[in-house]
Amino acid sequence: MKEFWFRFYKNKLAFAGLIILLLFLIMALFAPLLAPYDPYQMNPGAMLNAPSSDHLFGTDQFGRDILSRIIYGSRISFKVGIISVGISLFIGVSMGIIAGYYGGILDNIISRIMDVMFSFPQIFLALVIMAVLGTSSTNLMIAIGLVYIPIFGRIARGSVLSIKDSLYIEAANSIGVNNLVIMLRHILPNIMAPIIVQTTLSFGFAIRAEAALSFLGLGVEADVPSWGIMLNQGKDWMEMAWWNAVFPGLSATLAILSFNILGDGLRDALDPRLRNDID
Amino acid sequence: MKKRLGFLLILFLGITILVSSAVGAQEIKKGGTLSITDFSFASARTLDPHIAQAAGSMRFIENLYNTLLKYKKGEYGSLEGDLVEEYSISEDGKVYSFKIHEGVKFHNGDDLTAEDVKYSIERIIDKEVRAQHFDAVENIEVMDDFNLEITLAEPVAPFLTYLAYPMNAVVNKNVVEANDDSLNDVDAGSGPFKLNVWERDQFLVLDKFEDYFEEGKPYLDRVYLKPIDDETARTTALRNDELDIILQVSAKNIDRLAEYPNINVESVAGTYWEYLGLNTEAGPLSDKKVRQAVAWAVNRDALNQMVKFGKAAPLTGGPIPPGHWADDELKVYPAQDLEKAKELLSETEYSSGFETTLIVLSNPDQLNAAQVIKAQLAPIGIDVEIRSLESSVYFENLGNGDFEMTVIGWVGFVDPDEYLYNIFHTDGIWNQQAYSNKEVDALLEEGRRVSDQEERRKIYREAQRMIAEDVPMVFLYVNPQASALQQSVRGFDVNPTVSTISLTETWIDE
Amino acid sequence: MWRYITKRILVAVPVLIGISIVAFFLIRLVPGDTITALLGANYNPEQAAVLRAEYGLDKPLVMQYFIWITNVLKGDLGQSFFTNQGVLTSIIERLPVTLELMIMSFLYSVFIAIPLGALASLKKNSLLDYSASFLGLLGVSIPNFWLGTIFILIFSLFLGWFPSGGFVSFFENPILNLRYMALPSIALGASVGAVVMRMTRSSMLEVLKQDYIEMARAKGVTRKMLIISHALKNALIPVITVLGIQMGYLLGGSVIIEKIFSLPGVGRLTLQSITNRDYILMQGCILFVAFGFVTINLVVDIIYAVINPQIRY
Repeated sequence: MKEFWFRFYKNKLAFAGLIILLLFLIMALFAPLLAPYDPYQMNPGAMLNAPSSDHLFGTDQFGRDILSRIIYGSRISFKVGIISVGISLFIGVSMGIIAGYYGGILDNIISRIMDVMFSFPQIFLALVIMAVLGTSSTNLMIAIGLVYIPIFGRIARGSVLSIKDSLYIEAANSIGVNNLVIMLRHILPNIMAPIIVQTTLSFGFAIRAEAALSFLGLGVEADVPSWGIMLNQGKDWMEMAWWNAVFPGLSATLAILSFNILGDGLRDALDPRLRNDID
Repeated sequence: MKKRLGFLLILFLGITILVSSAVGAQEIKKGGTLSITDFSFASARTLDPHIAQAAGSMRFIENLYNTLLKYKKGEYGSLEGDLVEEYSISEDGKVYSFKIHEGVKFHNGDDLTAEDVKYSIERIIDKEVRAQHFDAVENIEVMDDFNLEITLAEPVAPFLTYLAYPMNAVVNKNVVEANDDSLNDVDAGSGPFKLNVWERDQFLVLDKFEDYFEEGKPYLDRVYLKPIDDETARTTALRNDELDIILQVSAKNIDRLAEYPNINVESVAGTYWEYLGLNTEAGPLSDKKVRQAVAWAVNRDALNQMVKFGKAAPLTGGPIPPGHWADDELKVYPAQDLEKAKELLSETEYSSGFETTLIVLSNPDQLNAAQVIKAQLAPIGIDVEIRSLESSVYFENLGNGDFEMTVIGWVGFVDPDEYLYNIFHTDGIWNQQAYSNKEVDALLEEGRRVSDQEERRKIYREAQRMIAEDVPMVFLYVNPQASALQQSVRGFDVNPTVSTISLTETWIDE
Repeated sequence: MWRYITKRILVAVPVLIGISIVAFFLIRLVPGDTITALLGANYNPEQAAVLRAEYGLDKPLVMQYFIWITNVLKGDLGQSFFTNQGVLTSIIERLPVTLELMIMSFLYSVFIAIPLGALASLKKNSLLDYSASFLGLLGVSIPNFWLGTIFILIFSLFLGWFPSGGFVSFFENPILNLRYMALPSIALGASVGAVVMRMTRSSMLEVLKQDYIEMARAKGVTRKMLIISHALKNALIPVITVLGIQMGYLLGGSVIIEKIFSLPGVGRLTLQSITNRDYILMQGCILFVAFGFVTINLVVDIIYAVINPQIRY
């Protein structure tokens, strides 16, 4: 564990990613305290104001403060990220462990389902699912969650296969330990490393997918301060108010970047075999 | 009641010449190509006038065909002859006699005769889409090649207006039959332009029809109609001279585009009116006082400011726009009055407010209006949830009455009957608000029968007042019809109905 | 080798069947149907019921599926209700746009990202390496639709160098075509380039470390020659796999990019079919995209097997 922290700290970039992430997290948690304005408050007298000391990031077409909306937007991003990644993590890992552990027909069926899901470009699949479910934040989280199930499934299955025949599991099996217990107690902890890395990276994907789908008008409700919605509406005004199209995108990029850096760093730290850096 | 359209046409041409000579005695320059775009073009799905419903399809089709009558340039609500040279209406208002121009050719060289007119009207009825325009038709009799008589079961005041509707076009019977009744990508017209090629979602190319029956017209050799989805892309293309006309410019771009020296923005009062629909059968909204509270709580001026940049004309009474002969000039809701709204609401069982949902398309202006309305209704305790739906789901919900509130609009009406009957009559086919008021029904029925304009104006004024007070809709505003044109474009009529039929008389001055 | 390829193709068959089932039944779960969309503002229930019967939409779902899939196997993807055009025809009509977009994005990745990645690995820990790494991270993090928006803002609106959207066929006007395609293809290719560059770099580092390179060095081959003949060749094997996977993502990303830049490609056709609830067209597009994705993966696997004979399944 100590070694992990050392290696992680040594990777300064990953550390920076963690810091940025924490800042976003603080932003999301304390949004009402941090936001200078009510993100929903319209003001016909302040339509499309350029960035100034009153409105650091300017205002949108309803005179709403963009900075406040970005701060509140981090809540949406984290919410979507946590729930959708939670869905794919839970279902994907369960399916992967079951497939890998039991093998046979069950493995075949699960793997084929994963194969089929894998045959669609992710954003494309999410789009189609949203079209089926209809636009709302809940549906958005489900759609994004569904799309990333096979990734977790494959990783979990692969990891299980690599340790399934180990003496350790065989021993547990031979003394009659319940299958569920073996899976939860003995297999799950041993395949955690790649799953943690994938979880971190998936947060980045989820934030991007939320923004992309909302940008296409297939995401969250229109008045919700989400970065994607802000970009969707902002692009209509960018010719006269560039700040509408710039700041929300910048926030999304920064958040995704921090998850990616962190994911890279975790991969280096947790799994020396996968390390990028060769000394 | 005989009207001589030929004379009117001459008079009209005389005026045009006078006007253009006043502008600088310019000589019309023939030839050249023109490209035009509109956000609606992306919705073009067919070239068959009798089944076309999307606005984009209509714009693509209207210059390929002729109608019996057409909208008069520059005079919204008035008509002039197109194929019809002269016509008369019997005293009882039931028999219409038409004499059509001789020597009109279809694009394939066939002669256009009264038989084709009859065939076309029958085909429209057969295709159902606009059959209701001809509901009252009892008999169509072809007298000879150029004369026909249409007999109605009862008088229909807007009948001539229906005949001028660009999609009630005359098609070539032979071409229709040769194509198994499908005109989806076939040109069976006699219009000023003929179909060259249609690359779906890329462009439609129309070429001048050399044998057009109006001597010397059209002036242009070729017209490109290009769908460009994105408004920014449209305005940049116009600025970069890659385009000649943007048919509909959104409110926010009217002033901005006008600043460019090579661009003219021409704006007229439009027919595109938007409203907040209230389902009169849905929960709290079934209470008239609740609906009136909503009507008083909405700030039309602020909406106009924030959504339309102040370019629209707020509607304080009924839907018929200012400038129309049947404009009601009513001020039922002159300004927002939150006190009155709260008071009305307190007289109902929803005095502490309620939750409701508002469905809307992803159309940016309507989505924006929904957000502003949500904010405006919050102070009186109405908590609105906005649900943006895909068009098919949206219209299904609307059609089934499966909604509480909605923001949407209507466009392209000419006769007051079109504005009111189908939408507010208890049995109206588009009465999505499930509105029912026997007195209004009676007025709307009377308005169909009466032919005197002044009398009809009174009828519709009264009907609009009653509708405004019953609030099946909170009428928001009428959009201006603004087109942006290159400075060199001449003779294009920016029409309230958004029609492009004036391309026949459009030319380029370079 | 041939056995592997045959086997690989056979494995794709059940996947394709699965795709067709998903494509068909997913769409049937959609709220609202083609008929309501077709009627649009003029919707009324009676007329809708008549039209539904006319188009066979009132038959049992399983039957509708078998009718559809039989036709698909005959090469008939059906006819769209909206465009009244054959589905396959509409897709093929728009395919060149999407292909051009993908190929251009792909070329950036190959001709910029691979040399940059290789160079970074050779000058490890130099300023160049760090900048490349950072660029790579930024590239994979920046959402392509925002990059596209920013490109329009800067290069079309402020600088006026490129059009902000639209399309002209290459055969009609090659120069104009390239002007229209420049921004979208860079916006789409950025993330792929970034992934490829990162992969090239790490793969090169791995190869450089290996013993046989050391041996080759001992024999006195010049450093430059060594890189070209051994390291890069070996390092490219995993890069090709990544490129293949990324080709698939280009297909997905093109949906948004085509929308932003108003390109009449397959992605926008899909979006339109979704908005219009054009079942038949939507199914066709989903089937087509997934089929393309599977084919690309298949081809990549085969190429991979050919260039890397050690691998056998």
